[in-house]
Amino acid sequence: MNTPTQLFGSWRHILGSLTLAVLLEQLPWTGWAQALRPDFVLVGVLFWTLHQPARIGFATAFFLGLLADFQDGAVFGQHAIAYVIGVYLVLFLRLRLLQFDPFRQAAQLFPILLAVQLVVLLVGWLAVNPPAGLAMLLPVLGSTVLWYLVAGFLRLLHGKGLQDRA
Amino acid sequence: MATPGQLMFARGLGPTARLLIWLLIGLGLAVFDSRYHALDGLRSGFSLLLQPVREIMRAPSDVAAELGGFFTRHRLLQKERDTLLAERARLMVNVNAARELRRENAELRSLLQLQTRPGQQVVHAAQLYRGHDWFSQRITLDQGGRAGLRSGLPVVDAVGLVGQVGRVYPASSEVTLISSPEQLTPVLIERTGQRGLAAGSGQNLLELRYMPAQTDIRPGDRLLTSGIDRVYPAGIPVARVTRVSRSQSGPYLRVECMPLAGLDRSRAVLVLIAEPQVTTQ
Repeated sequence: MNTPTQLFGSWRHILGSLTLAVLLEQLPWTGWAQALRPDFVLVGVLFWTLHQPARIGFATAFFLGLLADFQDGAVFGQHAIAYVIGVYLVLFLRLRLLQFDPFRQAAQLFPILLAVQLVVLLVGWLAVNPPAGLAMLLPVLGSTVLWYLVAGFLRLLHGKGLQDRA
Repeated sequence: MATPGQLMFARGLGPTARLLIWLLIGLGLAVFDSRYHALDGLRSGFSLLLQPVREIMRAPSDVAAELGGFFTRHRLLQKERDTLLAERARLMVNVNAARELRRENAELRSLLQLQTRPGQQVVHAAQLYRGHDWFSQRITLDQGGRAGLRSGLPVVDAVGLVGQVGRVYPASSEVTLISSPEQLTPVLIERTGQRGLAAGSGQNLLELRYMPAQTDIRPGDRLLTSGIDRVYPAGIPVARVTRVSRSQSGPYLRVECMPLAGLDRSRAVLVLIAEPQVTTQ
């Protein structure tokens, strides 16, 4: 596998980035920033699932999903279920995703992130009550952009260009 | 053919099996939580874990606000002081009138042999975190069970009703905002005294439900809590009517109201601790 897998991804990096993601979600977001706020934790989990599937997977996603449920005061399991499904989708498409440059990767991640958010919506709908409007799909855009930025940044860090040279 | 993503010579279960196991656990948790409320311990654990983190993460914005305040222009401060002084003078007049009314009220109550209204205790709290939930609108306060809060207490800010305390943890608590979907607030129209039920719509608006078509209500009317629910004390301002329209299909009016309290703005709120008693028996 000629992916940057081996170049980064020690436990220190993984734990550090996931902790950072949790911390970022604790910031008091308001207004438009809150509406568009990417799901940092989800992006982190999916990113490490893609690059370190032996270390980060279902269990981590489930636990962090429970944490997200607590944060939003939602029903326990709402985000946990959605995150687990996201991990599955990434594992399923893993070899395909690893071939793309950051931009196309982010474009491919978009439907996965959308699916995760739709599962959150569905579980919440069944367990609590109908959601108020479709504004809840906005963070999917934020998360996609965040994925692009992270993946692009790491590639630049390792001395590769943003674009794949065919 | 192995599923892509599966490691070669996989030692454990495949991704699909693991997905199903985790989904079952998740569904089980969701059912236990929503049907039996069996997971409050887990919530308390998370709250203990995250409480200090939230306090710390709030610091940068506090520092920024502090710095911003430091560089505020002198003239702005003077202007603010002038308006505050004027407001204080006006409020002092009100306080004197209220003191007089309270005395008179006490006399009348003793004449009528009604119970006296219990004094109200308040707890100051600050907004710690705003939830990102699309099914109900909640904020998290930095005060909890240790400060005497319990589930169901009303929360107000300087202008009006903010919401109702929901889950309570030792050092923090969740408040369901009045604009949260399906959150009901019993209100009365200040001008006419007619009672009604205000329901949150989820988009920072309230909707006055079940108002018959001939109701005397117009934009600009204020809604106060009616106090008949034993949850909210009577007379807290709730919302102002912004639009009244006749629905084509139903027998009721469509009344939209704007909450008075700064639901998404105010950082500092008060929690009222008192047993609101129904005084007219």
